[in-house]
Amino acid sequence: MNGKKRLICCKCQKELEMKKVDFSYLGHTFFTDLPSCPECGLVYISEELVKGRISEVEMQLEDK
Amino acid sequence: MAYNNELVKDCLQFERAFCTAECPFNLDIRDFIGKMQQGRFNIAYKTYQQSVGFPGIVAALCHEPCKAVCPMKNSGGAISLKMLEKASMDYARSKVPDQYNMPQKDKRIAIIGAGISGLACALRLTTKKYQVTIFEKSSRIGGHLNGHNSINIFMDDIKLQFSHETFTLHLDTEIKVLKNRDFDATYVATGKNGNMFGLERNYEGAFAGNKAGIFLGGSLLGADTMQAIAEGLNAANAIERYLKIGAMNQPEEQSGTKLIYESIRIIPKEKINPAKGNSFSKEEAVDEAKRCLKCACDACNYYSPLMSYFKKFPKKITEEVEISINPSSLDGCATVATRLISTCNHCGLCKEVCPVNIDTGEFLLKSHRTMRELGKMPWAFHEFFLRDMEFSNNEAGLTKIPAGYNKSKYLFFPGCQIGASDERLVSESYKFLLKQFPDTALMLSCCGAPAEWAGNDPIHKDILDKIKTAWIEFGKPVAVFACPTCKQMFRKYLPEIEGEFIYKIIEEKNNIPENKFTGETVSVFDPCASRHENELHDTIRNLAIKAGFKLEVLPMERNMAQCCSYGGQVSVAHPPYAEFMIQKNINQNNFPYITYCSNCRDIFAKSGKKVFHILDFVFNLESENRIRPTVSERQNNRLKLKYKMLKEFWNEDTIIESSAKKLKMSSELKEKLDKNMILETDILTVIENCEQNSRKLFDPDKKTFTGYMQIGNTTYWVEYRILQENLFEIVNSYCHRMKIEGN
Repeated sequence: MNGKKRLICCKCQKELEMKKVDFSYLGHTFFTDLPSCPECGLVYISEELVKGRISEVEMQLEDK
Repeated sequence: MAYNNELVKDCLQFERAFCTAECPFNLDIRDFIGKMQQGRFNIAYKTYQQSVGFPGIVAALCHEPCKAVCPMKNSGGAISLKMLEKASMDYARSKVPDQYNMPQKDKRIAIIGAGISGLACALRLTTKKYQVTIFEKSSRIGGHLNGHNSINIFMDDIKLQFSHETFTLHLDTEIKVLKNRDFDATYVATGKNGNMFGLERNYEGAFAGNKAGIFLGGSLLGADTMQAIAEGLNAANAIERYLKIGAMNQPEEQSGTKLIYESIRIIPKEKINPAKGNSFSKEEAVDEAKRCLKCACDACNYYSPLMSYFKKFPKKITEEVEISINPSSLDGCATVATRLISTCNHCGLCKEVCPVNIDTGEFLLKSHRTMRELGKMPWAFHEFFLRDMEFSNNEAGLTKIPAGYNKSKYLFFPGCQIGASDERLVSESYKFLLKQFPDTALMLSCCGAPAEWAGNDPIHKDILDKIKTAWIEFGKPVAVFACPTCKQMFRKYLPEIEGEFIYKIIEEKNNIPENKFTGETVSVFDPCASRHENELHDTIRNLAIKAGFKLEVLPMERNMAQCCSYGGQVSVAHPPYAEFMIQKNINQNNFPYITYCSNCRDIFAKSGKKVFHILDFVFNLESENRIRPTVSERQNNRLKLKYKMLKEFWNEDTIIESSAKKLKMSSELKEKLDKNMILETDILTVIENCEQNSRKLFDPDKKTFTGYMQIGNTTYWVEYRILQENLFEIVNSYCHRMKIEGN
């Protein structure tokens, strides 16, 4: 996320804030800061992040 | 390494070249020639020198037994190895041997006879810094070489090779009785008819005599000059073994080779004759070296796309698989071969071309199964295909017998992909079959190949059971196939079910419009699963010829067929490899292809190749402007097929619930979703979930909603606008494999 994009959680009507989010894949766990709803925790992951870093890490774990 | 030893025990990868097997020195000619081909004369010379000991003598006197076995001998002439060896000497920067700075060893070796075999033994031992004493009964060294015209040149070579080494020489000293108390070992090389000192050969070890520490070799035991040198060099190894471990059981040098080399791969090329004198110029030497085939068994790497892509032979593959299944890393999760295992198309070509029938593909399939059972195979590689298979067998599945019958002679099993590609191919085929055999039953189902390829035995077994149950219920009919993979799967896992191809029935009933395409040239692309279906190959060609086509043979056809890239469903695990396979296949020639596998057809069509299914011509369905269906359309086509069949043949009406009617999107986005294998049904599921639970984000600038949902193991993201109730504009969609925890 570039920090400029404004997103609002429809359920809680709150603007997303950067928050620690946990991930897992193939038995490995890790975390990163992502825009999330401060109330319900709904997160946002941009396509850029998915196609970039996330895809890279997925491949690395598959080849590990 | 018990896991792989059995598979590769007969592999010929490391068999010696024919020439090396004949060479008394076992010179690694592939290595030597490789250096010569690059014009690296100095390093080529070193290789030669280290193998033969006295390059000046060997280059002059070798009778070239290699020439008699060179595969090029009838294709322009055997490689002129002797002249190449000479060229390496002529053009080497330095012929002085390497000097090894090692301390002298305390072991003393006596050599009886200063002939060429004794000198060769002395050379090897002194290079290793053993203390060598030579006893010679005559007043000169060189033995039988002394009668040769070039003796002065030979002496220079001997002097040169001993440049950095010293030994004690006792000339005019005839040894009459062997007393080896001053020496730790003795090499007896007294020449032709020389003194054997009452010894005999002990054949339990190379060059061993029947007394401890005494070795025999050279012309004494009948060797010719080349063998005598080679034996002297090799005897040094046997002696060293004795000195180190006290055993005289050095294995004999292996002779011969099991190498097999395909003569069809030899391209004739006339041998190079020197323009001046009897020696090659540098350029001539390089050109002559380049004629060499460097014979090695590499059929798997030459033909198998997987092995050529990874540049790996079966041995290496099995080693990597072994450490992936039984990792030696501390965390126990180093799975280096995961992607390699998942990239095999299981096309069977590696076994087909292997002279000793090593089935690396089957090995990788078993390994895939093991990796899945161990939980080490990433689910992502096969999830899409397994879900797609489930769809084929459930929502789009249909198992029925015509009204009025409870048993049938035939069961049409078209396979899931042909209906996905074009539902008319299945409906027209069934119509044709019913005309011939009105009791023909129908089974719209997947044969289970994706489960086999995913190594998922439980799912696979489930599918096979269902097929078998239906087959028994219908009175054990003969299965009629349209897809070679289905037939292959049945033969392997349901061998009790007799099967034949619809194409054969079409040919027998002469059911193809004749001479409609007279004058057009096409090539038949045989699907890999048809590899051993010789009759089918002929049938397809007969049908194409009847339709009027002129056929151009493809380089890789019939039993040499290559996979289009679909086999093993490797496109998720290794997209670049899938693309490599596609390009390799579509560029075999420029003519349009006719195939009889819908995956081959659609995959090639996606890459711009003009390609038809043979059934297009049978049922007049061919179109120049056919658009290849997307992954979503492939599912829709299967649903359409099911409902069409129910309506047309059983008069049953069903309402189709199409997700496509609820989603609007650009053609670019459709293409992107197809590429990323995102189904419109999944997009709709995400949106419905977002709408029901308000779990969505709003972008006030773009006025779009974004939501996500994990379906199976994959997380799908959708950005959309609500146009009206049950109608959504899709702005974007993407997915990832990582799981968002706590959501």
